[in-house]
Amino acid sequence: MEEIKIGVYVCWCGTNIAKMVDVDQVVDQIKFLPDVAVARNYKYMCSDPGQDMIIRDIKQHHLNRVVVAACSPRIHELTFRKALAKAGLNPMMFQMANIREQVAWVHTDREKATKKAVSLVHAAINRVKWHESLDKRTIEVNPATLVIGGGVAGMSAALEIANAGKQVYLVEKSKKLGGYAAQLDLTFPHFYSARQLIKPMIRHVEDHKNIRIFKPMQINQIFGYMGNFQSTLQLANGDETKLKFGNIIVATGLQPFDPSEITSYNYGKLPDVVTSLEFEKMLAKGRIETCEGKEPKNVAIIHCVGSRNANYHEYCSRTCCMTALKFANQIRSALPESNIFDLYADMRSFGKGCEELYTQTSRKNVIFLRFDQQNGLPEIRSTNGEEAVSMLIEFTEQFSKEQVEVPADLVILMVAMESHADAKDISHIAGISMCGNSFFIEKHPKLDPVATTSDGVFIVGTCQAPKDIPDSISQAKAAAARVLATIHVGTIEVDVITATVNEDICCGCQTCVSVCPYKAISFNKEKGVSEVNEILCKGCGTCGSTCPTGAIRSRHFTDQQILSQIQGLLSPDNKFEKM
Amino acid sequence: MDFEPTIVSFLCNWCSYTGADLAGTSRMKYSPNIRIIRVMCSGRIDPTFVLEAFKNGADGVLLCGCHPGDCHYQSGNYKCLRRYNMLKKYFVQLGIRPERIRLDWISASEGKQFANLADSFTETIRHLGPCKIKNVIETYT
Amino acid sequence: MAERNERPKIKLAVYWGAACGGCCVSVLDVHEKLFDVVANADLVFWPIALDIKYNDVEAMPDQDIDVTLFNGAIRNSENKHMARLLRQKTKILVAYGSCAHLGGIPGLANLSTKTEIFDRIYKESESTNNPNHTRPLEKYEVKEGTLTLPEFFNDVRTLAQTVDVDYYLPGCPPQTERLLEVFMAIVSGDELPPRGKVLGATDKSQCDECPRKKSDKKTIKEFHRPWEINDDGETCFLEQGVLCMGPATRSGCGHRCIEVNAPCRGCYGPAPDVIDPGAKMMSSVATMIDGDTSETIEKILENVIDPAGYFYRFSMPASILRRKIPENLQAQAPLQK
Repeated sequence: MEEIKIGVYVCWCGTNIAKMVDVDQVVDQIKFLPDVAVARNYKYMCSDPGQDMIIRDIKQHHLNRVVVAACSPRIHELTFRKALAKAGLNPMMFQMANIREQVAWVHTDREKATKKAVSLVHAAINRVKWHESLDKRTIEVNPATLVIGGGVAGMSAALEIANAGKQVYLVEKSKKLGGYAAQLDLTFPHFYSARQLIKPMIRHVEDHKNIRIFKPMQINQIFGYMGNFQSTLQLANGDETKLKFGNIIVATGLQPFDPSEITSYNYGKLPDVVTSLEFEKMLAKGRIETCEGKEPKNVAIIHCVGSRNANYHEYCSRTCCMTALKFANQIRSALPESNIFDLYADMRSFGKGCEELYTQTSRKNVIFLRFDQQNGLPEIRSTNGEEAVSMLIEFTEQFSKEQVEVPADLVILMVAMESHADAKDISHIAGISMCGNSFFIEKHPKLDPVATTSDGVFIVGTCQAPKDIPDSISQAKAAAARVLATIHVGTIEVDVITATVNEDICCGCQTCVSVCPYKAISFNKEKGVSEVNEILCKGCGTCGSTCPTGAIRSRHFTDQQILSQIQGLLSPDNKFEKM
Repeated sequence: MDFEPTIVSFLCNWCSYTGADLAGTSRMKYSPNIRIIRVMCSGRIDPTFVLEAFKNGADGVLLCGCHPGDCHYQSGNYKCLRRYNMLKKYFVQLGIRPERIRLDWISASEGKQFANLADSFTETIRHLGPCKIKNVIETYT
Repeated sequence: MAERNERPKIKLAVYWGAACGGCCVSVLDVHEKLFDVVANADLVFWPIALDIKYNDVEAMPDQDIDVTLFNGAIRNSENKHMARLLRQKTKILVAYGSCAHLGGIPGLANLSTKTEIFDRIYKESESTNNPNHTRPLEKYEVKEGTLTLPEFFNDVRTLAQTVDVDYYLPGCPPQTERLLEVFMAIVSGDELPPRGKVLGATDKSQCDECPRKKSDKKTIKEFHRPWEINDDGETCFLEQGVLCMGPATRSGCGHRCIEVNAPCRGCYGPAPDVIDPGAKMMSSVATMIDGDTSETIEKILENVIDPAGYFYRFSMPASILRRKIPENLQAQAPLQK
């Protein structure tokens, strides 16, 4: 066997790591470990000079394994693997120790943090000794794309791809395309009619020769992997159709928050307390009126209903402040004599033309009153016909700290944006992770906000986070560009960290067969052994820890690799007692 | 010095490891006694790994996966849960307090929860004191 | 035979440590083949059959014995002494049988301490009649001199945990046919497999040869003892909810237990690369449990009363954690809420 020569590189990450971890000491402690040929520390390992250092060392010192102790492998593992490949080494001969996110940034005792960093590096050194060269698999990308959701985001993505001459399958759950945006009256900040924006888009999608629409239709299962997905749709006439596609764009959109759970607003009990969406419909019908069909004299708008409140949703729904201003403008035009009260918690008017909309609205005799969610929400109560107005809203005005009562004949609740209830099912079907607040998680919050951790699956629009129409469309077009790029290249390379069966050991007990969630393992009756379909295997490793004989190896996560990692981590020198 | 527990933690790549990373990017502080090993799925966690950790001197082992129903690989976390329950029974027979292993669910967005879990588990183990199994294996002849 | 007789006979020793005697009997079970053995080997030491004293072994030159079949685990100082002595005197030391290989049934004593064992035997057991509380002493002075007994260790160990072992021949006891094959291979001067290998067993587990019908439907809703089911005699035991160590156990025994409708107990030890067969099988069996919540899983596991005794029946001392922590060394602190 070839002699193992490991290069170990400890990154300072500027001061991010070096401030809390004594990088010199880490190098001093691990450089004498068996098989370590080179050990260095450097300011920014991920920078070009940092990578060049590794490449140079691989060539000069004939390194065949590399360990980098730096940030999370979720950020730079690929960067360093590429550097290895550049130097002619198989990229899998690499292991990262996460000493930034899981050491420097979370600990406060420099000595202990350093000790822990040493143990993580020691573990990585132990592990990398057992790494094997693995080849990438090149697969062809099916040029069709599945878009789930026919709202403004889904339609934009579909059009972008279809216009590039590629097939799109657009699946919409409801009977109509257009989604939430189609239910709006005007849009902010320029008061374009939503219908005039969305209607031509729908027509364009429906008429497009490269877009095949399935509605009303639900996706139940998707098999396969990036480049080669497939799904079977149950058509209304009882037929089935099998679709094959290379990429998936998920655009399941939003649903409005149900304010009836906020008791102080009495939504559902007081008929003239309506949600922002109900008010949009009222505007679309062309008449602002109370439940009794009268023109309201006093209209109140309450912000942050279900948003920015730990009891409901901690996040800001982003669009409600501007929609509220749009409402104030529409009410002012329709009812010039009315009193308009805007009860806000914070006025968030970022974005092009939005602060201008605020300034402009504030000159239109709208009374802005601020409440503080921390000190309780406003209370809406009925006057039971004893006063001239039907309702009174009581709250503490934040600037004056005075208890005030606002009269109202109509109250509009600016309800939060929630991820659609179907998102949970889609997350399982498409393999997307969700945040605690049930929006989908992007691959990287800053560097890759369109992709997901499942290759070939993209998220666009409000299923990822609350956003307005232009942001949804931007994201949709970005995803379309990503998809078109993979279609253009035609092939993709994927890591082979799949399971493999040693036929000399496998006894044919078949325990692994039913354990696999992807039906990637089957029993070969003739040979009496299990077989892994590497195309279907996603490399979770569950079969490896189920196999009682050790016949199944989970590539790149083998028993031997993990056990050596444990031994390194727990080497007696790395204990806190030894400090 | 006071007893400083050594804890090995196995985290699944998609939820828990990402959650632990989030604790880092959010600069939340937690006990340095937790040392993390990444696996793709909590379903990969072989009881052999847990035993090996104790043999090598771990005082506690923390397993984390995606929340029930949210496993990136559909069902690996349930398999982890079943093995964990089996292992605890075995641990009782070995005179190892079953509280020395803990399985919990951490999603990719639960950085705070991970930091809290790391701290509370470290406290549990600190309270239980050192696990003597390594010592017993080596010296109890 | 004539050809073989031209070769010098090999010197063979058989010894028992902490064992039940079954392994020695399995050597006798060669029946008429014993003549082949005797034709090829001189038995130089075998306490069960020959009156050769330890002193005689000590007097032998080093490496004088060609093959020693050492059965039994290392329980006391006598076992340890003899293991070391025989290692010194033997060219090929074979760990013969489950106890020498992995600790075997005596190895389950690692779930108790020496004190607990002595209390049970000399005080508590239902059949104990010991009014004077007599306990074994390692040394006792009488007027003729000092009487000694071997020291009883705290821990049961395998042969390989005590001395270097050349080969392993697993089983409780090893299948006699396998012994003959290995023996004949040694005497015929064939090239021997690399040191440290398991002989007389295949690399594949029991299921490979098991005549029962197996499928991928290994979901366990309820665990049963073998006598609790209406065994159809055909279906995989695990698929009937009966714990069977077959998948984690090397084949070579001729699936003797399965043949008589008893599940495999695991005496042949693990497949080649498995470090801890008990852990592997615990993992495999737990995975089969039909439950996704702790409550359901715990409920189903109620019927697995003794996981250590089941999954580590023959391999406790060779397993990763090897033994129970004595009570005085366990954490006493009550758990915080």
